[in-house]
Amino acid sequence: MMIPVRCFSCGRVIASDYQKFNQKIKEIRSDGREPTPQEISAIMDDLGLKRYCCRRMVLSHTDLIDEILPFS
Amino acid sequence: MSLKIIESSDRFMRFSVSEINPSIANALRRTIMDDIPKLAIDKVIFHHGQIRDNEGNVYDSSLPLFDEIVAHRLALVPLITDPKMNFREECSCKGEGCPLCTMSYSINRIGPGLVTSADLQPLGNPELVPSDLEIPIVKLGPKQAILVTAEARMGRGSEHAKWCVTSGVAYKYHREYVVKKSEIENWQNFKDKCPGSVISENDKEIRFTDDYGCTLLYQLLDNPNVERFEDPTTYIFQFETDGSYKAIDVLEYALKRLPQRLNTLLDSLVVQD
Ligand SMILES: [Zn+2]
Repeated sequence: MMIPVRCFSCGRVIASDYQKFNQKIKEIRSDGREPTPQEISAIMDDLGLKRYCCRRMVLSHTDLIDEILPFS
Repeated sequence: MSLKIIESSDRFMRFSVSEINPSIANALRRTIMDDIPKLAIDKVIFHHGQIRDNEGNVYDSSLPLFDEIVAHRLALVPLITDPKMNFREECSCKGEGCPLCTMSYSINRIGPGLVTSADLQPLGNPELVPSDLEIPIVKLGPKQAILVTAEARMGRGSEHAKWCVTSGVAYKYHREYVVKKSEIENWQNFKDKCPGSVISENDKEIRFTDDYGCTLLYQLLDNPNVERFEDPTTYIFQFETDGSYKAIDVLEYALKRLPQRLNTLLDSLVVQD
């Protein structure tokens, strides 16, 4: 489904960070390699995802909206 | 009691309050957490049916997500708030809803594409837009459309999480680390990385504080050779806002609100005769 608007635990708005996070990951993958854990951590720090509750929201999400899009 | 702002930006603030005790510190924390009034969408009306655009194409305004999910997502969008707006139950309209207590929004989009919080158009004061314009609400496929009107009203975080202005509200004691230069060899490293955190220094020892958020100093926490002092009357607070208010406005309101809350408690304690 879609990324939750806010972090379940602390209430920070994380939905907009998810898009930026994916964008940066995509940029690294376009170089033909996987991002290192240090790079992923640095991207989240830059976005202001400081607490691990917010980090897991972004890190563990799978967007499945495209799968259910045809069924309205 | 004295308050000193250590770090302040639009959406983040760190400050210290001295000469208080844990109960006052926690009362202030909880006021910042769930007693700041703000706008949030409370009523969403979905217009179902067929929608035609200028070229005669027909769209179906039913969504891939359930209406309840879309309404819930809309409610959680942070809206820039005018603090002068009334609570609906205290408003002169007696709870019916008027421009003094209610703000209306609409979304009118045709697919395909991603509907974001930027599509939330204010009907009324044009300044009260979402503070974050990149929140995805729902995705539309071809021949799908969304036509929604929504009403926002003032509320407090104690009622529902959508009215929470702040997140990550926390406090800790003011803490000092006394590092003996003969025992901790890399003290120079701490001094170089956290120059603002040095309180005092002489030939034998150097004193640090973690008030200013230098996380490197936490390495000293479980070092048995480092002497630590905690001051249980001085508290370092920090919080961040979702953008509906500036951080400084939240603090100002909370400090005004706290005595009101205590008075409510006091009034309820009076024995009625
Ligand atoms: Zn969080």
